[in-house]
Amino acid sequence: MRKGSEGRSRLLLIILIVTALFLITLDLRGVGILEGARQGTQTILSPFQRAGNVVLTPFKNFFSDITHLGRTRNQIEELRANNNSLKAELANRKNADAQLGQLKSILDLAGTAGFKVVNTRVISQGASQSFAQTITIDAGSNAGIKRNMTVLSEFGIAGVVKDVYPNSALISLATDPSFRIGIRIAGSQQIGILSGRGNRSASLQLIDNLTSVKVGDILLSRGSVANRPFVPGVPVGYITAVDNSAGAIAQSATVRLYTNFSTLGVVAVVVGAPVNNPGDALVPAKPQPTPVPTVTIYVTPSPTPTN
Amino acid sequence: MITRQLSIAIPIFVLIFMVQEAVVDQFRLAGGGFSLLLIFTIIWAILSTQEIAAIGGFTAGLLMDLSPSSSGPIGQWTLLMIAGCYAVSYLGSGNENLSGNPLGLTFFTTSAVFFIEISYVVTGALLGVQTGSSGQILITLVGISIWSLVVTPILLPLFSRIHAFAFNTRSAI
Repeated sequence: MRKGSEGRSRLLLIILIVTALFLITLDLRGVGILEGARQGTQTILSPFQRAGNVVLTPFKNFFSDITHLGRTRNQIEELRANNNSLKAELANRKNADAQLGQLKSILDLAGTAGFKVVNTRVISQGASQSFAQTITIDAGSNAGIKRNMTVLSEFGIAGVVKDVYPNSALISLATDPSFRIGIRIAGSQQIGILSGRGNRSASLQLIDNLTSVKVGDILLSRGSVANRPFVPGVPVGYITAVDNSAGAIAQSATVRLYTNFSTLGVVAVVVGAPVNNPGDALVPAKPQPTPVPTVTIYVTPSPTPTN
Repeated sequence: MITRQLSIAIPIFVLIFMVQEAVVDQFRLAGGGFSLLLIFTIIWAILSTQEIAAIGGFTAGLLMDLSPSSSGPIGQWTLLMIAGCYAVSYLGSGNENLSGNPLGLTFFTTSAVFFIEISYVVTGALLGVQTGSSGQILITLVGISIWSLVVTPILLPLFSRIHAFAFNTRSAI
């Protein structure tokens, strides 16, 4: 009896494992029905994610405040004095203001380049159990969004549209390990390929072995055929370290991405780009050092009293 | 009997998957956060027979594969979860120090989460899935493990009651 139970258990295990291997084979061969299953899941999930985003916004602000407890201590002291309803109202308004600020910056960026954009809210962040860096936005094919469109944040490139559903879309962030973008250096026009590394720091590989880059160089997107997946001229990041290994075929560098991926609340998808390349028009202005006034004190010795 | 148990268990797995996608993923938790479905499935497997554990692993793995944020091919999580849950159930069966002890259960669950995530990275590398730099992988692995260690004792009573409800057993942790 015991042997029979063990045999049945092993048979079940083998059947399940074979099924899983069968699914992997089908997916790697690009069978459409499996991709459709993932799309169907997102279509079902997106209303719940949208509702979750609305309901949980005050709590998200609460967690954010805990993270920045040291910096916002004074603000928390002030908030304690208010009653609960005012606290909730303030938290909602704070979120709206932050999103408004992000939206304004995105529109400034897109307006300068003449990009036609669809502004969207981030409704979910992808689970990191699969080591992928993704977000879900609340607009999809019904708003004119298609696969492989550029996604902008207030500072520059945020990612690219990976999958589109009727009312939502999955964005692969620039930090995703599978993310690749062709870039050029503002000014010198050298070209290279930037790869995501799972965090805000990305790696750059120059294509030409006769050129070199230096710390502080600004990277812009090089653009793709028909502006998909990337429109040209969008700020990507700046070089923080250069690798000058003697054995390397071409120079490589570490790049700090402009976009702050932990605070993404609003992003814009570029649905139309002008015929003309914006060139270096979107290069962010260098921070101006605040002048420190120099105070010169002249001391005139008072005449020594004489008797 | 098994059909009745599965008809109760599968909607529970789907519900937890939806809570993960619609609620837990809303919070940008440091270190990668935690996977509610992964923790639930492992606890479920520890408390179940090997057959039920494997079927539970298959269901949870399939749901994780269907998650739009999953970067690997469909079937990768399914394969890992079947093997992981079967192994967890095999190691935990008949071990009262484990299945009856919340502390042991917590550490065992956290270890299982850690090893399943490592297996995902290794099989992902074999299947050509990009998982990032080794430093970032390490941060995520440590982060998910720490979160699992924190979250498991909180959720354990609830999850064991759900398991007891599905299987009509009286004992719950």
